Amino acid sequence: MPLKLGPISGQVQSMAKALVEQFPVQEDYLRRARKHLRSADVDRLRAKLERHFGRQPRFPWLVAKPLDAGQRLYQQGLAGTTSAPPAPRDFCVVGTDGSSIPPDRHSPVRYYVVNVGYALITYGSEPSAVLDSQSQLCFEDRDMYVFPKEHEAPLEGVRFGARMEGESLRILRDVLQASTRPIVVLRDGPLTLWTLQNEEEKVQHALLRDFLDAMSFLRDSHIPLGGYISFSGSRDVANSLRVLICEGQPGQCHGCTSDERDLCQALATIRDRDLFANLEEGQRSELFASSSQVLEAYGDQRADFFYFNAGGEIARVEVPRWVSLTDEQLGLLHAVIHDQCQRSPGFPPYPPALLEAHEQAVITVSERRLIEEMVEQSLGQLGHHVTRSAKDDSKRRRGV
Amino acid sequence: MSRIGEIIETMSTGFVAESFELNRPPALGSLVVVRLPDEAGARATEVDLYAVVTYGRTAGIDPSRRAVRRSTDEVFDQAIYRQNPELERTLRTEFCAALVGFASGGQMYQHLPSQLPPLHFSVHHPTAQEVQRFTNRLQYLRLLAPPYAAPAAASGAGQVPPLQVVAANVRWVYKARGRDEEWLKAAAREIATLLKSDHEALLTVLYAIEPVHATDAVEES
Repeated sequence: MPLKLGPISGQVQSMAKALVEQFPVQEDYLRRARKHLRSADVDRLRAKLERHFGRQPRFPWLVAKPLDAGQRLYQQGLAGTTSAPPAPRDFCVVGTDGSSIPPDRHSPVRYYVVNVGYALITYGSEPSAVLDSQSQLCFEDRDMYVFPKEHEAPLEGVRFGARMEGESLRILRDVLQASTRPIVVLRDGPLTLWTLQNEEEKVQHALLRDFLDAMSFLRDSHIPLGGYISFSGSRDVANSLRVLICEGQPGQCHGCTSDERDLCQALATIRDRDLFANLEEGQRSELFASSSQVLEAYGDQRADFFYFNAGGEIARVEVPRWVSLTDEQLGLLHAVIHDQCQRSPGFPPYPPALLEAHEQAVITVSERRLIEEMVEQSLGQLGHHVTRSAKDDSKRRRGV
Repeated sequence: MSRIGEIIETMSTGFVAESFELNRPPALGSLVVVRLPDEAGARATEVDLYAVVTYGRTAGIDPSRRAVRRSTDEVFDQAIYRQNPELERTLRTEFCAALVGFASGGQMYQHLPSQLPPLHFSVHHPTAQEVQRFTNRLQYLRLLAPPYAAPAAASGAGQVPPLQVVAANVRWVYKARGRDEEWLKAAAREIATLLKSDHEALLTVLYAIEPVHATDAVEES
């Protein structure tokens, strides 16, 4: 066995011991951080963020910005909570998720497969469910490049991921035709496609077009959308607290002599889900705006977010600005997410519409192999034999 | 509608079908029928394959997803299905049936057909007349009762003890024939003949049919 489990076993034990020893210290920092969260002067934070962002457009940390005062009233600093309103008697939830066979650089044939699963579940007086998926094999230039005419920006890696995200929303136009109102759409994952932030602006815009068009369709249909992130590792709010307690220039910590320096350093490792662990089941936090650079391309559909106690887990929910500014839509989304979590058979709960969408989307290992064989067979019938890369071939053969 | 399921696995000795109704497979021991054109498909006359339900089960469509508890103090039993409509799409009820004969050209045959039922064909409830006609003869019981029944691996048989399938079939046919006492006595005698070398097996079937009749049949045999 090439993996030496002997030394790893000892290292696992050391890691567990170190983690457990850290808990009391971490708890103390969390208590102090939550105190700042409750007492935060929102106007001061907003002014501070604007001042520092003015100086450094590419701020080193992602921060959570309180929405403009005219739009929201913050209570209890940043620690305000809202309980879930009751869900309507009759309503529909649509969950979407995507899975893919990405382009394989070891294959001489360039193609990819997209499988978008969805679950359309109607609750109330006439309960029903539609679980299905749309599958597509793409190989033409228009599918393989962001700019097909110029053969520029091939769809792979981050760009391919962004295309997938667009596909998972585009399907809604077909799915939502005759659904019971009101409808809520849930998506697995964020609405902020932050992985695109290192792409050129024109690539960002081209890849975001489908995603934002699909969001516009929902906005125009008055259907609230939420991106549900289970066990989120984000630190936006924790970073905002660092800005708030900083006495100098945030991000320039060399030579800092602040009394809160230890807390500031601890906040660099504290996740927002721990900060909001005091939310009661069904409650959501205040709404925050994200500082992610890619959101500049979102226009009036910028993604805001809140944290939500699903009952055993603090989830992050991202919503387009048109949802965060409409109390009715925000309330409906909150109510339905809470209702979904209550219907979940698992613990911690997870929305059944997303679970079933995932089940529809997933492409199994044997299906992946089958597609590969179908491609090889079709080419073989036309007299073309597929030659894979030597590296991939040697890994498959594994001869001794 | 008489269609009750679709064949999803087929063998010379029987088939597995997915029930159209969740949690409601046809009764254990009941007679079901698969209607198909004759082998050449050229003539109008149909061949009807008769089978007895030997097993039923409800589980997740995806074998890797086991069902989990969903009830609460307020939501339980049928309310669970109303609260979780996706269950109708993620669970399925299957039933197995052992072939016991067929009808062709106006004749009833009580032995295995030459061809297995086609995959994805419908399974139907038989009409009352068909039940009457098919069960007028009792040789089909030999295809269900050990040691003459098909091997346990075929068509899900073995999940339910074959003696219990025989008893369930007799109970079902008795009722389907309008509580036909004469038929019941004849069936008990046939089973007694079949199991004459295994007294305990015979009693197991007869007690499962109707304890009151069991003693009479044993005495008569």
